[in-house]
Amino acid sequence: MAKEFKTLLTEIKLPYELAYGATWTRFFEGMKEKKIYGTKCSRCGRILVPARTFCPRCFVDTDEWVEVSPQGTVLTWSYANYRYFGMPMDPPFISALIKLDGADVGFLHIVAGFDLDDFDVVRQTVKTGMRVKAVWEDERKGHIMDIRHFEPL
Amino acid sequence: MGRPVAIIGVGQTKHGRRMDVSYPDLVREAVLRVFEDTGLTPNDIDGVVSGTMPSMMEGVALTHFYFADAMQAVGKPIMKTETCGSTGVSIAHTAFYWVSSGMADIVLAVGHEKMNEGDSQATMTTVCEPFYQRHFVAGAPGAFSMQSRVWMDNFGIPEDKVRDAAAYISKTHHDSAFDNPYAHVKLRVTIDDVKNSKIITYPIRLLDVCPNSDGACAVIFASEEAVRKLGRKKVAWVKGIGFRGEEYYFGDSDKAVWQSAIQAAKEAYDQAGINDPRKDLDVAEVYNPFTFQEMMFYECFGFCGFGEAPDLVLKGTFARGGQLPCDPSGGTLCTNPIGATGLIRVAEAALQVMDKAGDHQIPGSKMALGHAMGGADQFNGVMIVGSEL
Amino acid sequence: MANRVAIVAVSQNAGAESKDNFYDQAYRVVKDALDKAGMSREEIHTVVSASSDIFHGGISCANAYYWESSAAFLKPGSRQDGESLFALAYAAMRIMTGKHDTALVVGLCKGSENPENDTCTHMFTDPFYQREVGLNETVAAALQMRLYMERFGVAHEQCAKVAVKNLGNALRNPYAHKKGIYTIDAVLDSKRVIDPLTAMQIAPKSEGIIALVLASENKAKKLTDKPVWLKGYSSSLDTFNFGDRDLLNGQLKNAASRAYKMAGITNPRKEVDLAEITEPYAFQELLWCEDLGFCDPGGGGKLIDSGATQRDGALPVNASGGVLANNPYVSRGLQRAVEAFLQIRGEAGEHQVGKKVKTALAHGTHGFAGQCHAVAILGS
Ligand SMILES: [Zn+2]
Repeated sequence: MAKEFKTLLTEIKLPYELAYGATWTRFFEGMKEKKIYGTKCSRCGRILVPARTFCPRCFVDTDEWVEVSPQGTVLTWSYANYRYFGMPMDPPFISALIKLDGADVGFLHIVAGFDLDDFDVVRQTVKTGMRVKAVWEDERKGHIMDIRHFEPL
Repeated sequence: MGRPVAIIGVGQTKHGRRMDVSYPDLVREAVLRVFEDTGLTPNDIDGVVSGTMPSMMEGVALTHFYFADAMQAVGKPIMKTETCGSTGVSIAHTAFYWVSSGMADIVLAVGHEKMNEGDSQATMTTVCEPFYQRHFVAGAPGAFSMQSRVWMDNFGIPEDKVRDAAAYISKTHHDSAFDNPYAHVKLRVTIDDVKNSKIITYPIRLLDVCPNSDGACAVIFASEEAVRKLGRKKVAWVKGIGFRGEEYYFGDSDKAVWQSAIQAAKEAYDQAGINDPRKDLDVAEVYNPFTFQEMMFYECFGFCGFGEAPDLVLKGTFARGGQLPCDPSGGTLCTNPIGATGLIRVAEAALQVMDKAGDHQIPGSKMALGHAMGGADQFNGVMIVGSEL
Repeated sequence: MANRVAIVAVSQNAGAESKDNFYDQAYRVVKDALDKAGMSREEIHTVVSASSDIFHGGISCANAYYWESSAAFLKPGSRQDGESLFALAYAAMRIMTGKHDTALVVGLCKGSENPENDTCTHMFTDPFYQREVGLNETVAAALQMRLYMERFGVAHEQCAKVAVKNLGNALRNPYAHKKGIYTIDAVLDSKRVIDPLTAMQIAPKSEGIIALVLASENKAKKLTDKPVWLKGYSSSLDTFNFGDRDLLNGQLKNAASRAYKMAGITNPRKEVDLAEITEPYAFQELLWCEDLGFCDPGGGGKLIDSGATQRDGALPVNASGGVLANNPYVSRGLQRAVEAFLQIRGEAGEHQVGKKVKTALAHGTHGFAGQCHAVAILGS
């Protein structure tokens, strides 16, 4: 009997068509116009970004649309320096949670606009609490990557 | 509340890269061991709980079908429990409720994963919806490194100190894994090795991160009546369970004062009558795929105050021989077949209070905690077991 | 049973495609169930959901996504995969221990967004052998159907009658996805998908978000005058390799006999007033009726000929239109329980059956030719 056992190399790809729904359709349409929208929960008063249909904590419909600032403060960040199949962008890149001015929760996006290959530059440049602003794509499709990235102010 | 329930035996595979066995054969290895450990046969089993990570991990959906025979579950009632990374603890909870409710006397719980057959980080990324979060989360390490930074900043803990403590955790767990015959990674590392290893997602480095493991774990839960009928003396009684989940969107909730972890532990402590966990627990198997995060769990579980974990780690409080040894098995850091991992934590806790943990036994353990975390950094589940009813 | 468990309120959405997204859709149905129960989110103690991952929805660890949509923020909870009746049973167990007083059960499947049913069920196979030879739920059903017809002399027309009955019943169900008045010939002459199955004998791919509020006996009596009790439940799993199984002697008998025993039912033909059965393929309703003890083995054809299973018959089966009318893969079992609940309460609207329903059976199955079955008995 063989000492090494065989393996099967295979790949699975499946198609999906996922509905944005009314709230996120409006949110992503806003991205085309360089606007970032949140919705406000009238029970707890929090402004949730991206816009939400309901408040997870109060379990009531949100009832007010609010435009928040494309500028904000970095709540936390990480520097990705590894690779896996299907990674949305090539490393290195910086994932960050950004508290946009006017919002009550963190907005997840990337921080870039400087030399990411030099880790010393990254370490000097990126700090929790730093101010950043959205850099918009010229051609916007109503997609989350209509914001190319956030860069230091 | 409900009928008392005990763990009467456990079975684990040799975890690691197991290309020598097919996935069903891997599952069968753990199931055969739990039958060997308990002396029971499949005829004694009233129901089977199975669970794993999402189907993308190995490319087979609804694996309770695939493992029907390997789990000896043909003709039996079945449950299929999945809560992402916390699956293993959720499987244990399901088996507990099944027996405690009176719907079954003896239940077999099986957790399994064959991570080397797929791409675990690619799978993890599909936990995030594709409209928004999937674009930014660099797999699990990305989320956890952001969380670690929130914690450091929130409590003003110097990064150097956290770095030293995380390296200490990595070194001591890697050492412990040598005393666990089922552990995957067996590697002697120094503090400097950890601190100089490759950046994965800064501040997390390679030796701060768990491996991709193939492995399965099987645990048998029994009612008090069944324990007496079988004449078992050394069992692990379930003293308390807790589970909480928080919001899906990473930015919505506080990840430093982490409510899902705090409240899950509190729920279990209240049931188990634990007031001072650092004193009342003898050992804890904390789910620690990342060294930094392990310290956050110590704080959220009340093992110490917020911001205090790194100092205590460096004093050896949570090392073997310390006041509350954590992960004497080497933990998730050295062995992580995800769908099995939470159940392994519960199994290791049970082995400790049954005095059956062998070379990594913490002498005199009477009360132990097992834990797992999952979802988009959002679920925490706990099970506490004790040597006395 | 230690603590009795009742269903006090239910909600469901329509099976046809909705433009709403999964996350919001789940919130709306759960909120509606809470409103019907007259409860706030705070009054729910635990949440158990049922869904399947990535292949059924494009998102892994599906319950991470809809956690807060199912009212579970900072609540203890869990999730079942594959069969949503598992979630009903698990939530009931949680209440039976006395640890929880109320529970929410949510089944979720947004079929409109998913790949074809058979693309998904194909993934149940092992990657080495059964996947390569093209096994999926429809292929399995076709093989089972031919065996059924040949062994018991059940006619193709009798199988087609199930589709005629169920799609006709669905005309009265506002949530049904497929419905209409058809002849047996129309069913038999519809596209030959995989002989002997024609298109109209195969269930569609539907949306289905289902929510039920459960409560302990004491709590239920405060919440409603008409609690519906979970009287019995069991499930059973069959062997994996398709060729190893006797396709006409499966696990449903085991699951049913255990559920009947728990409910104290000795003669299901007399004691079950109505059944909601998972029949993704028309002939399976006949076969499952046999296994449930509603008729003798091989008597499924005669059973439908007798008219007993019609909406105005002695033992109505799938008065809602069943799964042929509405097939949200993972939540279809739980939908059967919702329909059983509505019939017992007399709240099924236009598809309410004429007879008084005291005891109803809800059946779920998933996997090839019924690899797994679950049976719940509900009663007033
Ligand atoms: Zn609110």
